Amino acid sequence: MSYSNLSIAAIRAGLATRQFSAEELVQDALNTINIRDKVIHAFIELCPELAYRAAEKLDAALSAGEAPPLLAGATIGYKDNMNLEGTHTTCASKMLENYKSPFTATCVTKTLEAGALPLGKLNMDEFAFGSSTETSYFGCTHNPWDLERVPGGSSGGSAAAVAAGMVTVALGSDTGGSIRQPASFCGVVGFKPTYGVISRYGVVGFGSSLDQAGVFGRSVANVAETIDAMSGKDPLDCMSQDAHAVYSSSVGAGVKGMRIGIVRSYVDADGISPEIHNALEDAISKLESLGAVITEVELPNAKAALSAYHVIGPCEAFSNLSRFDGIRYGYLSPNARNLDELYEQSRAQGFGAEARRRIMLGSYLLSSGIYEQYYLPAQKVRTLITQDYHQVFEQVDALLTPTTARTAFKFGEIADPVSMYLSDIFTIPINIAGNGGMSLPVGLGEESGLPVSVQVIGPQFKDENIFRVAAALEACYPDIARIAPDTSGTQQASQAGGSAQDSQVGGSGQSSPQGESAQASPEGGAA
Amino acid sequence: MYLTEEDVREIAAYTRIALVDGEVTDLKSDLNAIIETLKPITQYDLSGVEPTFHPIDGLSNVMREDVIKPSMLRETALALATSTENGQYRIPTILGEGSNR
Repeated sequence: MSYSNLSIAAIRAGLATRQFSAEELVQDALNTINIRDKVIHAFIELCPELAYRAAEKLDAALSAGEAPPLLAGATIGYKDNMNLEGTHTTCASKMLENYKSPFTATCVTKTLEAGALPLGKLNMDEFAFGSSTETSYFGCTHNPWDLERVPGGSSGGSAAAVAAGMVTVALGSDTGGSIRQPASFCGVVGFKPTYGVISRYGVVGFGSSLDQAGVFGRSVANVAETIDAMSGKDPLDCMSQDAHAVYSSSVGAGVKGMRIGIVRSYVDADGISPEIHNALEDAISKLESLGAVITEVELPNAKAALSAYHVIGPCEAFSNLSRFDGIRYGYLSPNARNLDELYEQSRAQGFGAEARRRIMLGSYLLSSGIYEQYYLPAQKVRTLITQDYHQVFEQVDALLTPTTARTAFKFGEIADPVSMYLSDIFTIPINIAGNGGMSLPVGLGEESGLPVSVQVIGPQFKDENIFRVAAALEACYPDIARIAPDTSGTQQASQAGGSAQDSQVGGSGQSSPQGESAQASPEGGAA
Repeated sequence: MYLTEEDVREIAAYTRIALVDGEVTDLKSDLNAIIETLKPITQYDLSGVEPTFHPIDGLSNVMREDVIKPSMLRETALALATSTENGQYRIPTILGEGSNR
């Protein structure tokens, strides 16, 4: 019996009616990981002891007659930039290879308090610098749909773990698309809430004015319930806010009368793959048929978001990564003869090439005379982009855009940093503006056979609009595969049945409604 | 070209990152290529536009009550360090022999 396909609601119901125990859920998930992760490599570290301890506690509470909490029995993995006491938190870097978390991130604590079962820590680009998970010190994660392709990044391990059915949900962080882009490449739902909805406390910082934790799941409902468990004001993160929303109650509310905006220059962007273009057009017509009012809107400053992001990101990263000194924690070079050498060699040897590049770039951009040319204008551009979104959301309740210009690329296909930076072109602007966004799978490309997704964006602190649109759209694609077929060479245990939304589909791939060939260059796409 | 090899060496020194032979040329080329892509940011007419430093509207300094609360134990924090002595971090000599600055 495998439970990997069950929704959170089905797991909760199964636990309440004693169809299975939390301990069995852990056993089953570890078994799945044992089979599938040999070839996918989503996990950096497993924590079976913590998982069994959480299961024992949950089973005892259920035996005592307590009602199952919101995430009861949901197996969960955490991006390895999230502290969980009792595990290492490496950020996929040699710098933190031996760093053992002395505390737990608030978002992690909240999922555990809600009854989730922690299976381990998930691979990522080093310090979240990347869009492919190729910069991990611990090696690449493979896309479960095609092992020769990247899972996207930086939260590639989180996306792949969910796509392979190894966890019910996974947490990730998103600074410029690091949840939505890998969700798109791996065919799962990936949600970055409005900046401030989830506490950042205990999530290792990259770009602190852009970073936001979020969730990967195989259904909109799973993601909504996980966000419900995690959101809220945290005294340990001064930017966290109480959004006063129950997102799962928006799932199923429908889109009748909702005003949904499309940006024509995004939908028809040069370089966008025909599969993604067609999927968007199809999604637009489906929403229209459900009673939504489709309106064309413009984001006139969207082009500027990319260069603003690539100024602000490295500047904030340079600041955040200055804390790694080799003394208090982290990698210490063994050969240093004095304090200066200790800092310089520990940082040179502990950080990978991309991290070193971004630190140096950030330092340059903040230097006297250069600051005025780049950083200050970037923050002014931020004002313009924020105004764009304010104006757009006076006209519409949500936006429908591409998540990415193309489907997952092959390992090594994008080698130079500049081209790699362009792969987050549709995701970056809302990190600059602070809005929430979700990548939603709508099927497999007919030509590529790879997951194709669309992105739904909402007004700031109105993420419930995103859930309404995404859930309505999800219901239009009931037959799409939620778990990638097992290509490990080992036959996986049979899939569980169940009444949940994502329990009806198994490992077989299905085609998206429309689609032609899909060879767009990532350099295109800028709207 | 924005950065010379000498600039790259200076930035590396400032960011406390030791460079190995041959790395300077590659870094110079990578960084210059990246900075070139940032050019648009220098070309917008931004006169009269105020900067936005964080994405939440209307939020200014966030203060909290100055109340002492339990925090991480000294032993817990020190357990992560490679070298400690008498409950403190131990670092290499910073003055005299061995120092290169």
